[in-house]
Amino acid sequence: MKAFFALPIFGVTLTLMAYFLSGKLKEKFDFVIFNRVLVSAILIIAVLFIFNIDFETYNNGAKYISFFLGPSVVALGVFLYEKLEEVKRDLKIFLISVFVGGIVGIISVVLFLVLLNAPEIISRSLAAKSVTTPIAIEITKITEGIPEITAGIVIITGILGNAFGPVVLHKLGVKNKKAVGTALGTGAHGIGTARAFEISASAGTYSGLAMCFNGIITALLAPYILAWLLSFTQ
Amino acid sequence: MLKSLIYIFCFLFLGELIHYFLAIPIAGNIIGMLLIFLALFFKIIKLEDVKPASDFLVKYLVVFFIPYGVGLMVYANIIAAYWIPVSVAVILSTLLSIYVTGAIYQKLDKK
Repeated sequence: MKAFFALPIFGVTLTLMAYFLSGKLKEKFDFVIFNRVLVSAILIIAVLFIFNIDFETYNNGAKYISFFLGPSVVALGVFLYEKLEEVKRDLKIFLISVFVGGIVGIISVVLFLVLLNAPEIISRSLAAKSVTTPIAIEITKITEGIPEITAGIVIITGILGNAFGPVVLHKLGVKNKKAVGTALGTGAHGIGTARAFEISASAGTYSGLAMCFNGIITALLAPYILAWLLSFTQ
Repeated sequence: MLKSLIYIFCFLFLGELIHYFLAIPIAGNIIGMLLIFLALFFKIIKLEDVKPASDFLVKYLVVFFIPYGVGLMVYANIIAAYWIPVSVAVILSTLLSIYVTGAIYQKLDKK
C-alpha cells in the first residue's frame, strides 16, 4: 500500500482536491480562520494520519506542485510592473513606508525571539515571516532555517494581520485608506491584502504592491540583518 | 499561454544561473522576478507576451505552497516546544510592523 501512496499522482491529486474542498468551505463559512492554505493543509494532514502515510511519501507527488512556487515568484514581478502605474503619484512615501515597516518587521521578530531565548534555528526560520510565502520560503533556504516552519508561521502572521491589523491601526489613529492598505501588505502579505481589498479597491492595490516590495526588500536585507543580530548572541 | 510560460521559465532559469554562478545570498526566483520586472520596465519584453501564464500562476499561488504547510507536521514538535516565544514574537512583530508602516505613510501623506 505504501508503494501505491508513493506514486506522484497521489500527492498531486490529494493536494488539488484539498484545495478545491477548502474553496467550498470558504464559501459556506467566510471567516479568516478558514484560510484556504490552512484548511487544505489540515485536510491533507488528516488523510495522511488516517492512512498512516509519512510526509516524504506524500511529497513524492506534492513536490511537483511546490515546483511551481519558483515560476510564480517570477510572475509576481509581472504583477508588480502592471500595478506600479497605480501608485506612481505616491511612489516616494509608499516606498519609504514599506522599507521602514519591512525592516522593523525583520528586526523585531528576531529580537523578540533572541530575548525570549528561542533557539537560533527558529530565528533563522522566522526572519522573513511578514512576506508572501513563496518568497519567505526562498529566504529561509538562504538563511538556513526550516522552510516548513516558515510556511506555517507566515500563514499565521497573515491571519493575525488580517484579523487584527485594521482594528489596531484604527485604535492608534491610522485612518488613511492607502496607509492601511500599505501597512497590511507590508506586515501580512497576501492574506492582509485580501482584507485590504474589503476596505477599498485602492487599499487592496496598495497592499498587493506593498507585499511585492516588502518581499524584495526582505529578500535583499534579511540575510544580513539576521547575521548581524545573531552575532550579538555568540 | 505556452509562449508566456516559456518566458517565465527562461527568466527563472536566468535567475537561478546568476544565483549559482555569482553565489549571492538572493534566491534565483527572486532574481528572476527582479529581471522580468526590469525587462518590462525598459520595454525589452512586452506585457502581453508574459501576462497569460503570469496571471495563471499568481491566481493559483496559494496552491503551490500547500505542500510546505503540510510539511509543518514534521516540525510540529519544535514549534510546540517553543510556542510561547514564537507566539509573543510573531504577534508583537506583526502588529508593530503594520503600525509603523501605516503611521509613516499617513504622516508623510499629509504634507
